[in-house]
Amino acid sequence: MAFLDINHASKTFAGTPAVRDFDLHVEKGELVSFLGPSGCGKTTTLRMVAGFEVPNEGTIVLDGHDITNKAPSQRDVGMVFQAYALFPNMTVGDNVGFGLKIAKKPKEQIAARVKEMLGLIRMPDLGDRYPYQLSGGQQQRVALARALAIAPQVLLLDEPLSALDAKIRVELRYEIRRIQRQLKITTIYVTHDQEEALTLSDRVVVMSAGEIEQIGSPFEIYNYPATAFVASFVGTLNQLRCRVVDAASGKLALGGQQFTTTALVKTAAAEVLVMLRPEELHMGVRAGDNSLTGKVESVAFLGSVVRVHLKLGESVVTLDALNERKLVLPKVGEDLTVSFPPHGCWVLAGA
Amino acid sequence: MRRHPVWSWFWFILGILYFFIPLVSTLEFSLRMLKGRYTFEAYRVAFQDPRFYQSFGFSLLWAIVTIVISLLLVVPTAYWVQLKLPKARPYVEFVTLMPFVVPAVVLTFGLIRMYGRPPLVLTTTPAALIVGYVVLSLPYMYRSVDSGLRAVDIRTLTEAAQSLGANWGTILKDIIFPSLRVALLSGIFLTFAIVMGEFTFASLLSWPAFGPYIEEIGAMRAYTPQAVSLMSFLITWGSIVLIQWLGRGARGAQIQVGGAR
Repeated sequence: MAFLDINHASKTFAGTPAVRDFDLHVEKGELVSFLGPSGCGKTTTLRMVAGFEVPNEGTIVLDGHDITNKAPSQRDVGMVFQAYALFPNMTVGDNVGFGLKIAKKPKEQIAARVKEMLGLIRMPDLGDRYPYQLSGGQQQRVALARALAIAPQVLLLDEPLSALDAKIRVELRYEIRRIQRQLKITTIYVTHDQEEALTLSDRVVVMSAGEIEQIGSPFEIYNYPATAFVASFVGTLNQLRCRVVDAASGKLALGGQQFTTTALVKTAAAEVLVMLRPEELHMGVRAGDNSLTGKVESVAFLGSVVRVHLKLGESVVTLDALNERKLVLPKVGEDLTVSFPPHGCWVLAGA
Repeated sequence: MRRHPVWSWFWFILGILYFFIPLVSTLEFSLRMLKGRYTFEAYRVAFQDPRFYQSFGFSLLWAIVTIVISLLLVVPTAYWVQLKLPKARPYVEFVTLMPFVVPAVVLTFGLIRMYGRPPLVLTTTPAALIVGYVVLSLPYMYRSVDSGLRAVDIRTLTEAAQSLGANWGTILKDIIFPSLRVALLSGIFLTFAIVMGEFTFASLLSWPAFGPYIEEIGAMRAYTPQAVSLMSFLITWGSIVLIQWLGRGARGAQIQVGGAR
């Protein structure tokens, strides 16, 4: 039994299943993110933990207590919303202290805790401001402080950064992780932004159409996706339709050019789908690697990365090269040979 | 196609005249109590009548009671409809509009039939009158509150408060009522203005309210009622100006509530 158990939870709205058989066990102090496109059920699952939805099936157990049917106010769970949801009629300090006031804590204790929380979010002097006097990023920090002030057992974050500017978003992302690590608070983080999920999480739960696709560390999710959905949703991916030359030795062909893979090709079909991350491909020939030659279709300079699109027979392959000052950019229309290691790709049967 | 500005001005001035000529005439007439010169004699006489203060005081008291009951009835209802029963909104709106559809006379006789006999006799107390006033205030109060609720992300605020341990009572008291300050004030002042000038209910249920008092002296004297009507009109106008003024002050605060910026 883990600290927070979501046991086979299902939720149906008016006959439409929103979440199906969601089974997850979160350890104390862990940050787990739910990642998926909108409508995949990640927010519904979070709201079941918060108590705003009751699962039709399954249970939610927190620290050994079954909280499946408990009211949100009885759960000891802190929540941060996408829309900040600060109380507009209260100052920052009163917002942060609201939960403690409800719990009828003595005034001095509330004041001390509010001060501590404002220090934690690095806004020690803004306790007297009203929410509308703050920027979006500041408001969300206050919302975080308010959720943490009651020292909840679990912190729930529902797309907390989606409403913010790109720069603030990245900044606050690290801030959330810093605070979470410092307090060692068990946290569930819902997001549709894969970069956010990968950078923040101890573990990522990838969801689609109400079901869990994969649970794993960011490294596992990215490099060893369990399903085609995870592979295509997380990161950029080349999906190449290849002819099987010799399944036993892993020989495949793309547009007439042969290469080998160490991935198992366990199919009798004539064609398979080969999955290859753009960063596994390198310009030029490398000893021991597969090499393929194609025509350069486009070259995009993105700063730290140069993205090249290469026409290989019927397929277009994307290559990401790290920028360096001596890099010679390929020209559109010329032939370019690229290479990748035999272990760099994986194969999906039934293509 | 732009209309010629002359016509815009023509209609504007016509509207102003239509609105102000009766007012100015009433004012002018009310100042002519003493022959040959303009004085505030009519106002002095009005203020001398103890029944002026009595009826004004009664109406003031009943207006306040009406406002309190109306708030306690409408705010939780509108909040619940917005939060949990959005499908019920058209029905609730329809019910609150009834005072516009059913004439006040009919409403009063309904009240008398309902509360004039056992088991619940209210017509001997001002309660029946206040019940009528609450019904009368519904369209104004409900609409103000409803539009206020729609301007705020009420659902998320409620959930935020719940996750911090607040129960429904606390949420209403600490979050909803304060967030709706401007909307509530406009509902309150509209209700106040209506109750202060109301005639039908008070007259038919025979309570000495301000409305029937104006009517009564209107039948007996020439100049004083003009003065009193004008004062009653100023109360209404003052209320509307107050709504506007308070609304402007707090608008900034309300816009910020709508979540993401």
